[in-house]
Amino acid sequence: MTVSAPVRLGLLRLADSAPSVVALQRGLFRELGLSVELSVEPSWANIADKLAYGLLDAASMLPPLALAAALGLRGAPAKLLVPMGLSGGGNTVTVRREVADAIASPAGAHDALAKGRRLAAWLRAQPAPPRFAVVHAFSTHNLLLRYWLAASGIDPDRDITTVVIPPEQVQAALAEGRIAGFCAGAPWGELAEQDGTGRHLLGTSEIWANHPEKCLAVAEPWAMANPAALQALLRGLLQAQLLCEQAGSAAWVAGLLAEPPLNLPAAAVRACLPRGSAAERIRFHAGGAWVPQRSQAIWFLAQMRRWGWLGTEIDLRDAAERVYRPDLLAAAADAEGRSWPGTDIVTAGGLCDGTIGDQPAAGV
Amino acid sequence: MQALAADRGITVSRLQPGDSLLEAVAVHGPDVVLVDMARPDRDALESLRQLSASNPRPIALFVDQDDPSFMEAAIAAGVSSYNVIGTPPPDVKPILRAAVALFRRYQQTRAALDSAETRLEERAVIDQAKTRLIRERRLSEPDAYRWLRRNAMSSGQKIVDVARKLLREAEDTRS
Repeated sequence: MTVSAPVRLGLLRLADSAPSVVALQRGLFRELGLSVELSVEPSWANIADKLAYGLLDAASMLPPLALAAALGLRGAPAKLLVPMGLSGGGNTVTVRREVADAIASPAGAHDALAKGRRLAAWLRAQPAPPRFAVVHAFSTHNLLLRYWLAASGIDPDRDITTVVIPPEQVQAALAEGRIAGFCAGAPWGELAEQDGTGRHLLGTSEIWANHPEKCLAVAEPWAMANPAALQALLRGLLQAQLLCEQAGSAAWVAGLLAEPPLNLPAAAVRACLPRGSAAERIRFHAGGAWVPQRSQAIWFLAQMRRWGWLGTEIDLRDAAERVYRPDLLAAAADAEGRSWPGTDIVTAGGLCDGTIGDQPAAGV
Repeated sequence: MQALAADRGITVSRLQPGDSLLEAVAVHGPDVVLVDMARPDRDALESLRQLSASNPRPIALFVDQDDPSFMEAAIAAGVSSYNVIGTPPPDVKPILRAAVALFRRYQQTRAALDSAETRLEERAVIDQAKTRLIRERRLSEPDAYRWLRRNAMSSGQKIVDVARKLLREAEDTRS
Protein backbone atom coordinates (compact mmCIF):
# COMPACT_ATOMS: atom_id res chain seq x y z
CA MET A 1 0.00 0.00 0.00
CA THR A 2 1.28 3.44 -0.76
CA VAL A 3 -0.01 6.58 0.85
CA SER A 4 1.29 9.79 -0.59
CA ALA A 5 0.57 12.46 2.03
CA PRO A 6 1.28 11.72 5.70
CA VAL A 7 -1.80 11.36 7.88
CA ARG A 8 -2.05 14.33 10.23
CA LEU A 9 -3.02 13.05 13.67
CA GLY A 10 -3.87 15.59 16.40
CA LEU A 11 -3.55 15.11 20.15
CA LEU A 12 -3.13 16.96 23.44
CA ARG A 13 -0.45 16.65 26.14
CA LEU A 14 -2.19 13.87 28.05
CA ALA A 15 -1.22 10.39 29.20
CA ASP A 16 -4.11 8.86 27.24
CA SER A 17 -2.52 10.09 24.00
CA ALA A 18 -0.25 7.06 24.42
CA PRO A 19 -1.67 4.85 21.62
CA SER A 20 -0.89 7.48 18.95
CA VAL A 21 2.61 8.13 20.29
CA VAL A 22 3.41 4.43 20.73
CA ALA A 23 2.13 3.52 17.25
CA LEU A 24 4.34 6.19 15.71
CA GLN A 25 7.51 5.76 17.78
CA ARG A 26 7.39 1.96 17.70
CA GLY A 27 7.07 2.04 13.91
CA LEU A 28 3.66 0.31 13.92
CA PHE A 29 2.20 2.74 11.38
CA ARG A 30 5.31 2.42 9.21
CA GLU A 31 5.04 -1.37 9.16
CA LEU A 32 1.52 -0.94 7.84
CA GLY A 33 2.78 1.34 5.07
CA LEU A 34 1.36 4.44 6.69
CA SER A 35 3.16 7.70 7.20
CA VAL A 36 1.82 9.71 10.16
CA GLU A 37 2.61 13.16 11.52
CA LEU A 38 1.63 13.99 15.10
CA SER A 39 0.32 17.47 15.79
CA VAL A 40 0.27 18.42 19.49
CA GLU A 41 -2.42 21.07 19.93
CA PRO A 42 -2.88 23.51 22.82
CA SER A 43 -6.68 23.21 22.97
CA TRP A 44 -9.59 20.93 22.14
CA ALA A 45 -11.03 23.83 20.16
CA ASN A 46 -8.01 23.67 17.84
CA ILE A 47 -8.54 19.94 17.30
CA ALA A 48 -12.22 20.46 16.49
CA ASP A 49 -11.50 23.38 14.11
CA LYS A 50 -8.67 21.63 12.31
CA LEU A 51 -10.70 18.45 11.85
CA ALA A 52 -13.63 20.48 10.53
CA TYR A 53 -11.52 22.35 7.99
CA GLY A 54 -9.27 19.52 6.84
CA LEU A 55 -6.07 20.67 8.58
CA LEU A 56 -6.08 17.44 10.58
CA ASP A 57 -7.16 14.07 9.19
CA ALA A 58 -7.68 12.39 12.54
CA ALA A 59 -7.36 13.17 16.24
CA SER A 60 -7.63 11.82 19.74
CA MET A 61 -10.85 13.48 20.81
CA LEU A 62 -13.35 13.90 23.65
CA PRO A 63 -16.45 11.91 22.60
CA PRO A 64 -18.95 14.60 23.69
CA LEU A 65 -17.01 17.26 21.78
CA ALA A 66 -16.86 15.07 18.68
CA LEU A 67 -20.64 14.73 18.87
CA ALA A 68 -21.15 18.44 19.61
CA ALA A 69 -18.93 19.45 16.69
CA ALA A 70 -20.71 17.06 14.30
CA LEU A 71 -24.11 18.40 15.39
CA GLY A 72 -23.08 22.03 14.98
CA LEU A 73 -23.27 22.91 18.68
CA ARG A 74 -19.99 24.86 18.37
CA GLY A 75 -20.02 26.57 14.98
CA ALA A 76 -20.84 25.01 11.64
CA PRO A 77 -21.53 21.26 11.73
CA ALA A 78 -18.23 19.43 11.22
CA LYS A 79 -18.10 16.37 8.99
CA LEU A 80 -16.44 13.90 11.27
CA LEU A 81 -16.77 10.27 12.23
CA VAL A 82 -15.80 8.21 15.28
CA PRO A 83 -14.55 4.79 14.09
CA MET A 84 -12.73 3.72 17.28
CA GLY A 85 -12.39 4.19 21.02
CA LEU A 86 -8.88 5.08 22.21
CA SER A 87 -9.16 4.81 25.99
CA GLY A 88 -11.44 4.45 28.99
CA GLY A 89 -11.28 5.89 32.50
CA GLY A 90 -8.26 7.74 33.87
CA ASN A 91 -9.77 11.04 35.03
CA THR A 92 -9.83 12.09 38.64
CA VAL A 93 -11.82 14.48 40.76
CA THR A 94 -9.14 16.21 42.81
CA VAL A 95 -9.92 18.76 45.52
CA ARG A 96 -7.93 21.15 47.70
CA ARG A 97 -6.53 19.59 50.86
CA GLU A 98 -8.82 21.51 53.19
CA VAL A 99 -11.87 20.39 51.21
CA ALA A 100 -10.73 16.76 51.43
CA ASP A 101 -10.14 17.16 55.17
CA ALA A 102 -13.54 18.77 55.69
CA ILE A 103 -15.41 15.91 54.03
CA ALA A 104 -13.18 13.05 55.20
CA SER A 105 -15.00 10.30 57.08
CA PRO A 106 -12.68 7.48 58.15
CA ALA A 107 -15.60 5.41 59.45
CA GLY A 108 -18.05 6.34 56.69
CA ALA A 109 -18.77 4.67 53.37
CA HIS A 110 -16.37 5.27 50.50
CA ASP A 111 -18.53 4.73 47.46
CA ALA A 112 -18.96 7.61 45.03
CA LEU A 113 -22.40 8.60 46.31
CA ALA A 114 -21.32 8.63 49.97
CA LYS A 115 -18.43 10.92 49.06
CA GLY A 116 -20.78 13.03 46.96
CA ARG A 117 -23.25 13.48 49.83
CA ARG A 118 -20.47 14.60 52.16
CA LEU A 119 -19.33 17.06 49.49
CA ALA A 120 -22.94 18.28 49.24
CA ALA A 121 -23.00 19.04 52.98
CA TRP A 122 -19.74 20.98 52.69
CA LEU A 123 -21.03 22.90 49.66
CA ARG A 124 -24.17 23.95 51.57
CA ALA A 125 -21.98 25.50 54.27
CA GLN A 126 -20.08 27.70 51.80
CA PRO A 127 -20.99 31.39 51.49
CA ALA A 128 -20.64 31.33 47.68
CA PRO A 129 -20.62 28.47 45.15
CA PRO A 130 -17.04 27.12 45.07
CA ARG A 131 -15.34 26.89 41.68
CA PHE A 132 -14.62 23.54 40.03
CA ALA A 133 -12.61 23.25 36.83
CA VAL A 134 -13.15 20.96 33.87
CA VAL A 135 -11.28 20.94 30.56
CA HIS A 136 -14.16 21.77 28.21
CA ALA A 137 -17.93 22.08 28.48
CA PHE A 138 -18.33 19.18 26.03
CA SER A 139 -15.95 16.87 27.88
CA THR A 140 -16.40 13.48 29.49
CA HIS A 141 -14.99 15.16 32.61
CA ASN A 142 -17.74 17.75 32.75
CA LEU A 143 -20.58 15.33 31.98
CA LEU A 144 -19.38 12.71 34.48
CA LEU A 145 -18.73 15.32 37.19
CA ARG A 146 -22.21 16.79 36.70
CA TYR A 147 -23.80 13.33 36.70
CA TRP A 148 -22.13 12.43 40.00
CA LEU A 149 -22.91 15.79 41.63
CA ALA A 150 -26.56 15.56 40.59
CA ALA A 151 -26.80 11.96 41.82
CA SER A 152 -25.43 13.20 45.16
CA GLY A 153 -28.10 15.89 45.50
CA ILE A 154 -25.99 18.77 44.18
CA ASP A 155 -27.22 21.16 41.49
CA PRO A 156 -24.16 21.65 39.26
CA ASP A 157 -25.60 24.89 37.86
CA ARG A 158 -26.33 26.45 41.25
CA ASP A 159 -24.26 24.85 44.01
CA ILE A 160 -20.90 25.13 42.24
CA THR A 161 -19.44 27.40 39.57
CA THR A 162 -17.90 25.48 36.69
CA VAL A 163 -14.90 27.03 34.98
CA VAL A 164 -12.85 25.73 32.09
CA ILE A 165 -9.08 25.54 32.60
CA PRO A 166 -6.60 23.72 30.31
CA PRO A 167 -5.43 20.48 31.95
CA GLU A 168 -1.82 21.62 32.30
CA GLN A 169 -2.97 24.65 34.33
CA VAL A 170 -5.35 22.99 36.82
CA GLN A 171 -2.58 22.12 39.28
CA ALA A 172 -1.46 25.77 39.51
CA ALA A 173 -5.07 26.97 39.78
CA LEU A 174 -5.65 24.57 42.68
CA ALA A 175 -2.39 25.59 44.40
CA GLU A 176 -3.29 29.29 44.11
CA GLY A 177 -6.76 28.66 45.53
CA ARG A 178 -8.53 29.86 42.37
CA ILE A 179 -10.54 26.62 42.34
CA ALA A 180 -11.75 24.23 45.05
CA GLY A 181 -11.28 21.21 42.82
CA PHE A 182 -11.13 19.90 39.29
CA CYS A 183 -11.94 16.93 37.13
CA ALA A 184 -9.08 16.35 34.67
CA GLY A 185 -7.27 13.58 32.85
CA ALA A 186 -3.99 11.93 33.79
CA PRO A 187 -1.42 12.81 34.93
CA TRP A 188 -2.67 16.20 36.18
CA GLY A 189 -4.56 14.91 39.25
CA GLU A 190 -1.63 12.70 40.22
CA LEU A 191 0.72 15.70 39.99
CA ALA A 192 -1.50 17.88 42.20
CA GLU A 193 -1.55 15.06 44.72
CA GLN A 194 2.23 14.65 44.58
CA ASP A 195 2.92 18.34 45.22
CA GLY A 196 0.59 18.24 48.21
CA THR A 197 -1.97 20.84 47.10
CA GLY A 198 -4.62 18.37 46.03
CA ARG A 199 -6.23 15.20 47.29
CA HIS A 200 -7.70 12.51 45.11
CA LEU A 201 -11.43 12.42 45.89
CA LEU A 202 -12.55 9.88 43.33
CA GLY A 203 -11.81 8.49 39.89
CA THR A 204 -14.30 8.87 37.08
CA SER A 205 -14.54 5.06 36.82
CA GLU A 206 -16.28 5.25 40.23
CA ILE A 207 -18.92 7.45 38.57
CA TRP A 208 -19.33 5.20 35.52
CA ALA A 209 -17.44 1.90 35.59
CA ASN A 210 -15.79 1.18 32.23
CA HIS A 211 -16.67 4.63 30.91
CA PRO A 212 -15.27 5.57 27.51
CA GLU A 213 -12.74 8.41 27.59
CA LYS A 214 -10.94 9.40 24.36
CA CYS A 215 -12.11 8.36 20.94
CA LEU A 216 -10.55 8.57 17.51
CA ALA A 217 -12.32 11.19 15.40
CA VAL A 218 -11.58 11.35 11.68
CA ALA A 219 -12.48 13.95 9.07
CA GLU A 220 -15.21 12.30 7.01
CA PRO A 221 -14.00 13.56 3.59
CA TRP A 222 -10.52 12.21 4.35
CA ALA A 223 -11.85 8.86 5.60
CA MET A 224 -14.05 8.40 2.52
CA ALA A 225 -11.22 9.28 0.12
CA ASN A 226 -8.60 7.14 1.93
CA PRO A 227 -10.24 3.90 3.08
CA ALA A 228 -6.94 1.97 3.02
CA ALA A 229 -5.15 4.63 5.08
CA LEU A 230 -8.03 4.63 7.56
CA GLN A 231 -7.75 0.85 7.98
CA ALA A 232 -3.98 1.10 8.49
CA LEU A 233 -4.51 3.89 11.04
CA LEU A 234 -7.05 1.79 12.96
CA ARG A 235 -4.81 -1.28 12.90
CA GLY A 236 -1.75 0.65 14.08
CA LEU A 237 -3.71 2.19 16.95
CA LEU A 238 -5.23 -1.17 17.86
CA GLN A 239 -1.76 -2.75 18.06
CA ALA A 240 -0.51 0.19 20.11
CA GLN A 241 -3.45 -0.10 22.55
CA LEU A 242 -2.63 -3.75 23.15
CA LEU A 243 1.04 -2.89 23.74
CA CYS A 244 0.04 -0.14 26.21
CA GLU A 245 -2.20 -2.61 28.06
CA GLN A 246 0.46 -5.34 28.30
CA ALA A 247 2.13 -6.22 31.60
CA GLY A 248 5.57 -4.66 31.87
CA SER A 249 5.02 -1.96 29.27
CA ALA A 250 4.25 0.93 31.66
CA ALA A 251 7.91 1.92 32.10
CA TRP A 252 8.78 2.31 28.44
CA VAL A 253 5.40 3.83 27.53
CA ALA A 254 5.88 6.45 30.28
CA GLY A 255 9.41 6.96 28.95
CA LEU A 256 8.11 7.64 25.43
CA LEU A 257 5.55 10.12 26.74
CA ALA A 258 8.29 11.90 28.69
CA GLU A 259 10.14 12.61 25.45
CA PRO A 260 9.24 15.24 22.86
CA PRO A 261 6.69 16.07 21.64
CA LEU A 262 4.62 15.44 24.80
CA ASN A 263 7.31 15.97 27.49
CA LEU A 264 5.07 14.61 30.25
CA PRO A 265 6.43 13.81 33.74
CA ALA A 266 7.34 10.11 33.51
CA ALA A 267 6.70 9.00 37.11
CA ALA A 268 3.22 10.55 37.35
CA VAL A 269 2.27 9.16 33.92
CA ARG A 270 3.47 5.70 34.85
CA ALA A 271 1.24 5.68 37.95
CA CYS A 272 -1.82 6.34 35.76
CA LEU A 273 -1.11 3.66 33.13
CA PRO A 274 -2.60 0.14 33.33
CA ARG A 275 -1.30 -1.64 36.49
CA GLY A 276 0.07 1.66 37.80
CA SER A 277 -0.02 2.79 41.41
CA ALA A 278 -2.68 5.50 41.01
CA ALA A 279 -6.20 4.82 42.28
CA GLU A 280 -7.70 5.67 38.87
CA ARG A 281 -5.91 4.18 35.88
CA ILE A 282 -6.35 4.46 32.13
CA ARG A 283 -7.64 1.48 30.15
CA PHE A 284 -6.48 1.36 26.56
CA HIS A 285 -8.13 -1.80 25.34
CA ALA A 286 -9.59 -3.60 28.37
CA GLY A 287 -13.24 -3.25 29.24
CA GLY A 288 -14.17 -2.69 25.60
CA ALA A 289 -12.34 0.67 25.49
CA TRP A 290 -11.52 0.19 21.81
CA VAL A 291 -15.11 -0.22 20.57
CA PRO A 292 -17.02 3.01 19.87
CA GLN A 293 -20.42 1.90 21.14
CA ARG A 294 -23.40 3.84 19.90
CA SER A 295 -25.19 3.30 23.20
CA GLN A 296 -22.38 5.30 24.83
CA ALA A 297 -22.78 8.09 22.28
CA ILE A 298 -26.49 8.17 23.12
CA TRP A 299 -25.65 8.45 26.83
CA PHE A 300 -23.41 11.48 26.18
CA LEU A 301 -26.05 13.08 23.96
CA ALA A 302 -28.75 12.43 26.55
CA GLN A 303 -26.63 14.13 29.20
CA MET A 304 -26.15 17.15 26.94
CA ARG A 305 -29.89 17.34 26.49
CA ARG A 306 -30.44 16.95 30.23
CA TRP A 307 -28.42 20.13 30.83
CA GLY A 308 -30.21 22.04 28.12
CA TRP A 309 -27.42 22.13 25.53
CA LEU A 310 -29.15 20.00 22.94
CA GLY A 311 -32.64 20.67 21.57
CA THR A 312 -35.37 18.06 21.25
CA GLU A 313 -35.33 18.43 17.44
CA ILE A 314 -32.26 16.21 17.30
CA ASP A 315 -32.90 12.46 17.35
CA LEU A 316 -30.27 10.99 19.65
CA ARG A 317 -30.17 7.53 18.08
CA ASP A 318 -29.97 9.01 14.61
CA ALA A 319 -27.10 11.32 15.63
CA ALA A 320 -25.24 8.48 17.34
CA GLU A 321 -25.57 6.23 14.29
CA ARG A 322 -24.37 8.97 11.95
CA VAL A 323 -21.25 9.89 13.94
CA TYR A 324 -20.30 6.63 15.67
CA ARG A 325 -19.13 4.11 13.06
CA PRO A 326 -18.07 0.87 14.79
CA ASP A 327 -18.65 -0.85 11.44
CA LEU A 328 -15.48 0.82 10.12
CA LEU A 329 -13.50 -0.95 12.84
CA ALA A 330 -14.71 -4.47 12.04
CA ALA A 331 -12.21 -5.14 9.23
CA ALA A 332 -9.27 -3.77 11.23
CA ALA A 333 -10.27 -5.90 14.22
CA ASP A 334 -10.44 -8.93 11.96
CA ALA A 335 -7.01 -8.21 10.45
CA GLU A 336 -5.57 -7.96 13.96
CA GLY A 337 -7.21 -11.17 15.09
CA ARG A 338 -9.40 -9.48 17.70
CA SER A 339 -12.75 -11.09 18.15
CA TRP A 340 -15.22 -8.47 17.04
CA PRO A 341 -18.01 -7.87 19.55
CA GLY A 342 -20.34 -6.55 16.86
CA THR A 343 -21.78 -3.11 16.50
CA ASP A 344 -24.77 -3.49 18.79
CA ILE A 345 -23.32 -5.36 21.73
CA VAL A 346 -22.71 -3.23 24.77
CA THR A 347 -20.25 -3.68 27.59
CA ALA A 348 -22.32 -3.11 30.66
CA GLY A 349 -20.85 -0.54 32.97
CA GLY A 350 -22.69 0.54 36.08
CA LEU A 351 -23.26 4.16 37.01
CA CYS A 352 -22.76 5.31 40.59
CA ASP A 353 -26.52 5.62 41.19
CA GLY A 354 -27.12 2.01 40.17
CA THR A 355 -28.28 2.53 36.60
CA ILE A 356 -26.47 1.00 33.64
CA GLY A 357 -24.46 3.54 31.68
CA ASP A 358 -25.02 1.94 28.34
CA GLN A 359 -28.77 2.08 28.63
CA PRO A 360 -29.72 5.11 26.58
CA ALA A 361 -32.34 6.33 29.03
CA ALA A 362 -30.00 6.26 32.05
CA GLY A 363 -29.98 9.46 33.99
CA VAL A 364 -32.27 11.34 31.64
CA MET B 1 -3.49 45.39 14.17
CA GLN B 2 -2.76 49.02 13.27
CA ALA B 3 -4.57 48.63 9.95
CA LEU B 4 -7.68 47.53 11.83
CA ALA B 5 -7.36 50.29 14.41
CA ALA B 6 -7.06 52.87 11.63
CA ASP B 7 -10.55 52.00 10.45
CA ARG B 8 -12.77 54.45 12.29
CA GLY B 9 -15.72 52.06 12.17
CA ILE B 10 -13.87 49.57 14.35
CA THR B 11 -12.62 49.73 17.91
CA VAL B 12 -9.81 47.29 18.55
CA SER B 13 -8.96 46.15 22.09
CA ARG B 14 -5.80 44.09 22.38
CA LEU B 15 -5.06 41.75 25.25
CA GLN B 16 -1.85 42.32 27.17
CA PRO B 17 0.31 39.26 27.84
CA GLY B 18 -1.13 37.37 30.80
CA ASP B 19 -4.63 38.81 30.41
CA SER B 20 -7.50 36.37 30.64
CA LEU B 21 -9.45 36.00 27.44
CA LEU B 22 -12.68 35.45 29.35
CA GLU B 23 -12.28 38.57 31.49
CA ALA B 24 -11.44 40.66 28.43
CA VAL B 25 -14.58 39.44 26.69
CA ALA B 26 -16.64 40.23 29.81
CA VAL B 27 -15.14 43.73 30.14
CA HIS B 28 -15.18 44.82 26.49
CA GLY B 29 -18.26 42.98 25.24
CA PRO B 30 -16.85 42.72 21.71
CA ASP B 31 -18.82 41.81 18.59
CA VAL B 32 -16.04 39.63 17.28
CA VAL B 33 -13.07 38.04 19.04
CA LEU B 34 -9.97 37.13 17.04
CA VAL B 35 -7.96 34.48 18.83
CA ASP B 36 -4.40 33.31 18.34
CA MET B 37 -4.87 29.55 18.13
CA ALA B 38 -1.77 29.00 20.26
CA ARG B 39 -3.80 30.22 23.29
CA PRO B 40 -4.91 27.30 25.45
CA ASP B 41 -7.86 29.29 26.86
CA ARG B 42 -9.88 28.95 23.67
CA ASP B 43 -11.65 26.01 25.33
CA ALA B 44 -12.83 28.30 28.12
CA LEU B 45 -14.18 30.85 25.64
CA GLU B 46 -16.17 28.35 23.63
CA SER B 47 -17.50 26.64 26.79
CA LEU B 48 -18.96 29.90 28.11
CA ARG B 49 -22.38 29.45 26.56
CA GLN B 50 -22.90 26.08 28.26
CA LEU B 51 -21.37 26.97 31.61
CA SER B 52 -22.16 30.56 32.51
CA ALA B 53 -25.60 30.50 34.09
CA SER B 54 -25.44 34.14 35.20
CA ASN B 55 -24.46 35.87 31.97
CA PRO B 56 -25.39 33.68 29.05
CA ARG B 57 -23.93 35.94 26.38
CA PRO B 58 -24.25 33.95 23.18
CA ILE B 59 -20.87 32.93 21.86
CA ALA B 60 -20.56 31.16 18.56
CA LEU B 61 -17.58 30.18 16.56
CA PHE B 62 -17.85 32.54 13.63
CA VAL B 63 -17.68 30.52 10.50
CA ASP B 64 -18.39 31.57 6.97
CA GLN B 65 -20.16 28.49 5.72
CA ASP B 66 -20.16 29.84 2.15
CA ASP B 67 -16.40 30.14 2.13
CA PRO B 68 -14.76 27.18 3.86
CA SER B 69 -11.45 27.80 2.09
CA PHE B 70 -11.23 31.18 3.79
CA MET B 71 -11.76 29.62 7.22
CA GLU B 72 -9.18 27.00 6.31
CA ALA B 73 -6.69 29.74 5.44
CA ALA B 74 -7.45 31.53 8.69
CA ILE B 75 -6.94 28.38 10.76
CA ALA B 76 -3.76 27.54 8.86
CA ALA B 77 -2.51 31.03 9.70
CA GLY B 78 -3.29 30.39 13.36
CA VAL B 79 -6.32 32.65 13.73
CA SER B 80 -9.74 31.63 14.90
CA SER B 81 -12.72 33.88 15.37
CA TYR B 82 -15.70 33.98 17.69
CA ASN B 83 -18.76 36.09 17.31
CA VAL B 84 -20.05 36.93 20.78
CA ILE B 85 -23.28 38.82 20.04
CA GLY B 86 -25.22 36.24 18.07
CA THR B 87 -25.33 37.82 14.62
CA PRO B 88 -22.03 38.78 13.05
CA PRO B 89 -21.74 42.38 11.84
CA PRO B 90 -22.01 42.58 8.03
CA ASP B 91 -18.49 43.94 7.54
CA VAL B 92 -16.79 41.21 9.54
CA LYS B 93 -15.08 39.47 6.64
CA PRO B 94 -12.69 42.32 5.68
CA ILE B 95 -11.75 42.54 9.36
CA LEU B 96 -10.95 38.85 9.45
CA ARG B 97 -9.01 39.06 6.20
CA ALA B 98 -6.88 41.91 7.54
CA ALA B 99 -6.31 40.02 10.79
CA VAL B 100 -5.25 36.86 8.97
CA ALA B 101 -2.80 38.78 6.76
CA LEU B 102 -1.33 40.63 9.75
CA PHE B 103 -1.05 37.49 11.79
CA ARG B 104 0.73 35.68 9.00
CA ARG B 105 3.25 38.52 8.63
CA TYR B 106 3.78 38.56 12.40
CA GLN B 107 4.44 34.81 12.39
CA GLN B 108 6.99 35.14 9.58
CA THR B 109 8.83 37.84 11.52
CA ARG B 110 8.76 35.70 14.63
CA ALA B 111 10.06 32.67 12.72
CA ALA B 112 12.89 34.73 11.22
CA LEU B 113 13.77 36.03 14.67
CA ASP B 114 13.71 32.55 16.15
CA SER B 115 16.03 31.17 13.50
CA ALA B 116 18.42 34.11 13.97
CA GLU B 117 18.48 33.42 17.70
CA THR B 118 19.05 29.73 17.12
CA ARG B 119 21.99 30.48 14.82
CA LEU B 120 23.56 32.77 17.42
CA GLU B 121 23.10 30.16 20.13
CA GLU B 122 24.58 27.44 17.93
CA ARG B 123 27.59 29.58 17.12
CA ALA B 124 28.21 30.11 20.84
CA VAL B 125 28.12 26.34 21.47
CA ILE B 126 30.54 25.65 18.62
CA ASP B 127 32.89 28.39 19.87
CA GLN B 128 32.84 26.89 23.35
CA ALA B 129 33.66 23.44 21.99
CA LYS B 130 36.47 24.88 19.87
CA THR B 131 37.94 26.65 22.92
CA ARG B 132 37.91 23.36 24.80
CA LEU B 133 39.62 21.50 21.91
CA ILE B 134 42.23 24.23 21.60
CA ARG B 135 42.97 24.08 25.31
CA GLU B 136 42.77 20.33 25.93
CA ARG B 137 44.02 18.86 22.68
CA ARG B 138 46.33 21.76 21.83
CA LEU B 139 44.76 22.20 18.39
CA SER B 140 44.87 25.39 16.37
CA GLU B 141 41.52 27.10 15.84
CA PRO B 142 41.14 25.92 12.20
CA ASP B 143 42.10 22.40 13.29
CA ALA B 144 39.57 22.46 16.12
CA TYR B 145 36.85 23.40 13.65
CA ARG B 146 38.02 20.72 11.21
CA TRP B 147 37.93 18.17 14.05
CA LEU B 148 34.29 19.04 14.76
CA ARG B 149 33.39 18.97 11.08
CA ARG B 150 35.10 15.61 10.47
CA ASN B 151 33.25 14.05 13.43
CA ALA B 152 29.97 15.52 12.26
CA MET B 153 30.40 14.10 8.77
CA SER B 154 31.45 10.65 9.92
CA SER B 155 28.57 10.36 12.39
CA GLY B 156 25.95 11.99 10.18
CA GLN B 157 25.25 14.69 12.77
CA LYS B 158 25.21 18.47 12.66
CA ILE B 159 28.38 20.24 13.80
CA VAL B 160 26.49 21.87 16.66
CA ASP B 161 25.31 18.47 17.91
CA VAL B 162 28.87 17.15 17.95
CA ALA B 163 29.91 20.30 19.84
CA ARG B 164 27.10 19.80 22.35
CA LYS B 165 28.08 16.17 22.88
CA LEU B 166 31.71 17.13 23.44
CA LEU B 167 30.74 19.75 26.03
CA ARG B 168 28.36 17.33 27.76
CA GLU B 169 31.05 14.64 28.00
CA ALA B 170 33.50 17.15 29.41
CA GLU B 171 30.84 18.09 31.97
CA ASP B 172 30.28 14.44 32.90
CA THR B 173 33.95 13.63 33.41
CA ARG B 174 34.29 16.69 35.66
CA SER B 175 31.38 15.85 37.91
